[in-house]
Amino acid sequence: MMFWKVLKQYRVKGLLILISLPALVLPTICLVYILWQGLPVLNWQTLSGEGVTGFGLEHGMFGQIWGSLLLMLGANVLAAPVALGLALFFNLYANHNTQRTIFTLLHLLQSIPPIVYGLFGLFVFVHLLHLGISLLAGMIILAMIILPLLVLNALHALKAISVEQTESARSLGLNDMQLICRVWAPLAWPTMLTGQLLGMARALSETAPILFTATVFSGVLWPSSIFEPVTTLQTHIFYLAQEGGNAHVVSIAWGAATLLITLVLLFSLTALLLRRIDQHHRIS
Amino acid sequence: MKHKNILSIIACAIAAVISITPIYAHETLHAMGSTTVMPVVSEAATAFYKAHPDISITVSGGGSGVGIAAMIQHTAQIGMASRNTSPEEQAKLNEWVDNIVIARDAVAVVVSKEVYLGGVTHLSLAQIARIYRGQITNWKQLGGPDAQILAIDKEASRGTRHVFAEAVLGNAHARAPGASLISGSNNEEQAIVARSHQAIGMLSNAWLNDRVRGIAIDMDGVAISPTLEQIRNGHYPISRGLHILIAKDASPAARAFVQFLLSEKGQGIVKKVGYLPIH
Amino acid sequence: MILLKPGLYLITSFIALLVLAVPFFLVQASAPFWASAGIKVLTGTEWFPYEMLFGMLPAIIGSTWAILIALFIAIPCGVATAIVTTELVSSSLASATRMGMEVLAAIPSIVYGLIGLWLLLPLLQSSFDLLSGHSLLAAGLILALMILPLITLMSMDALRLVSNTQREAGMSLGLSWEALLFRVLLPQAWPAIRGGILLAMGRALGETMAVMLVVGSLDRMPEPIMNILQPAQTLTSRIGREIGEAAFGSIHFSALMACGLLLALIGLSISLFAHTRVVKA
Repeated sequence: MMFWKVLKQYRVKGLLILISLPALVLPTICLVYILWQGLPVLNWQTLSGEGVTGFGLEHGMFGQIWGSLLLMLGANVLAAPVALGLALFFNLYANHNTQRTIFTLLHLLQSIPPIVYGLFGLFVFVHLLHLGISLLAGMIILAMIILPLLVLNALHALKAISVEQTESARSLGLNDMQLICRVWAPLAWPTMLTGQLLGMARALSETAPILFTATVFSGVLWPSSIFEPVTTLQTHIFYLAQEGGNAHVVSIAWGAATLLITLVLLFSLTALLLRRIDQHHRIS
Repeated sequence: MKHKNILSIIACAIAAVISITPIYAHETLHAMGSTTVMPVVSEAATAFYKAHPDISITVSGGGSGVGIAAMIQHTAQIGMASRNTSPEEQAKLNEWVDNIVIARDAVAVVVSKEVYLGGVTHLSLAQIARIYRGQITNWKQLGGPDAQILAIDKEASRGTRHVFAEAVLGNAHARAPGASLISGSNNEEQAIVARSHQAIGMLSNAWLNDRVRGIAIDMDGVAISPTLEQIRNGHYPISRGLHILIAKDASPAARAFVQFLLSEKGQGIVKKVGYLPIH
Repeated sequence: MILLKPGLYLITSFIALLVLAVPFFLVQASAPFWASAGIKVLTGTEWFPYEMLFGMLPAIIGSTWAILIALFIAIPCGVATAIVTTELVSSSLASATRMGMEVLAAIPSIVYGLIGLWLLLPLLQSSFDLLSGHSLLAAGLILALMILPLITLMSMDALRLVSNTQREAGMSLGLSWEALLFRVLLPQAWPAIRGGILLAMGRALGETMAVMLVVGSLDRMPEPIMNILQPAQTLTSRIGREIGEAAFGSIHFSALMACGLLLALIGLSISLFAHTRVVKA
């Protein structure tokens, strides 16, 4: 009888815990499984491709790593000034209605799936503008994808600055540029940096939009110009993932996945750490 | 003057992007097309790069249709195709493109190891056609194990599919209602067949292994296996040339690469990958 | 200094232009297709590019199924996790869960594809006795895993934002924990949770790589329509599979652009729906 009473008393809680179990254990399982599969194959030979032959393996992975990082950097360099500019406009010159419109536009941009940006880029940059399958096309497409994220983050950063600080600066007679450089920049940079790091992590993890606009299967160690295609870790995993008959190739795909996750987590965890420190700073 | 710092950081970043642009003379060739030809070209490109560090060759797949389209649209210097060009395509290429056969290959009809060991070691073209039309659905009907047939089709633009469907179904673009899975590259199909116990598919001869067995084709009562010998003497019914497309006025570097593919060393790579050298 | 204001105006109008440019060029790229095939392809069931048949319905149904399966799994799990971590357990376990979810959210989609292809498919193949494991169920499960962090994190934030005074008021009325949860906490947090769900829906709609590797890419109506154990096709997997091989300028190319346009329109309407609801509330 006691048992039933306890069960009845805790049935909702018990049920909730039961349903939430997957979410509590899955992150660990996924990460451990990837590392378990990927870490053993990561050594100098698979990275450099020295003395290795076989489908897609003979080049090692350095070319892919550079390709991924170049795309990521390019996208962020292109998107950052635009994002900053829009955030400043929002705070300096936009009236209430314009602000609402900008918000709506950003949410709309964010809701377009990445692959659609890929199609747009394929049509406009690769074909209409004759950029060809190239690093530049990939950079622009990724920049478009991370743009809403960067802008929303920048808005968040500027919003956190109290109105009194801005107004007291104004009353001291600071013009727009001085206000931006002397008051806003010192206060907002940690959050801005957080957003930039998150943008980097995002740009590193997108695969579909660059698959047919910026990358090739093999043959690039370091692109000779931004009009050349690259190889990336993301697409490398895709190609290797499908090579099933050869167990070794699949294990290399896991190795590449481990590398990619390490890079992505490096950026996103640094960002989260920075955010936490910043919040701490503000509260104290 | 903090904004000066910001400006200089932006300037540095822009300079960093521009600095990727080449300082020295360097030629990049793009090879694009059939995933069947890709392993040969990819490996040859690496070997070629070691001998000519000033010429790099990027390789990407997509299928024969893409390779031919890329030549027509001038987006690649080297096209790879694992089938003959269609009359419409040929009309657009006739004047200015050389079509060079670098190797020969057979499209093997492959089955999972369990099916092969279960007794299905040879089929006639008509039987295979009936599988892909959905008229035969169980391996038992063909003297094999009691298991449903997993017929794997390929994406429509793949050269392998063209050659297979033309020989088996009578038309390169014939529908295959019996197929229950569509695969893309050779790799992917090989993976699916290897993992299944009841699959049939079409794969280039070079991709056979222990888990992925090529079956013989019955021709007038004689079972002909997809061996290099039978491809060479022309008995195996589903075979093809592997083509390289290159513009007649291509750069010396592109010409040199094609010469390399046809050289003894290049043909050695063809052989190593598992295709039949042309001489 | 003088350049600041016009410069910022320029940037802003550039972004506004961008929002218009994406749909505009997609419409332009897919125009030849709509002109030749007409709007009736939306209900066509046969997709054979070489026979100029471009029925979109199988992929639309496939996408719908995959999203529904993913939401069906991820919503209860995510919301329950949020309740458990914010209301039941210690805050250190809560922040550990948050950390785990953030890591899960950071894993790139292609790696989820790898997990799906080499872990999930063999599992499904053996447990449901399937031909290969490629199926809408596999796609739905992988999508569920991918959107779970989004729903969990948004729900956690939503529940934490419910003010303590309301909790205390509820408790002083003598409400049991369950009553407090269902009458006070969840109704208060619901608008934000719904926002998270809509966001997750958009994410699931546009996810390409992971889905493409596990769904089987068979462009055929599921038979019967409830059959989620068969290989199928989604809008994104069709684009991913075929865009590389469709020649620029062909009707096939423009048909795939039309699929993209469709995806963009669905994504935009989900977002607009979410937005108007938030503004109203």
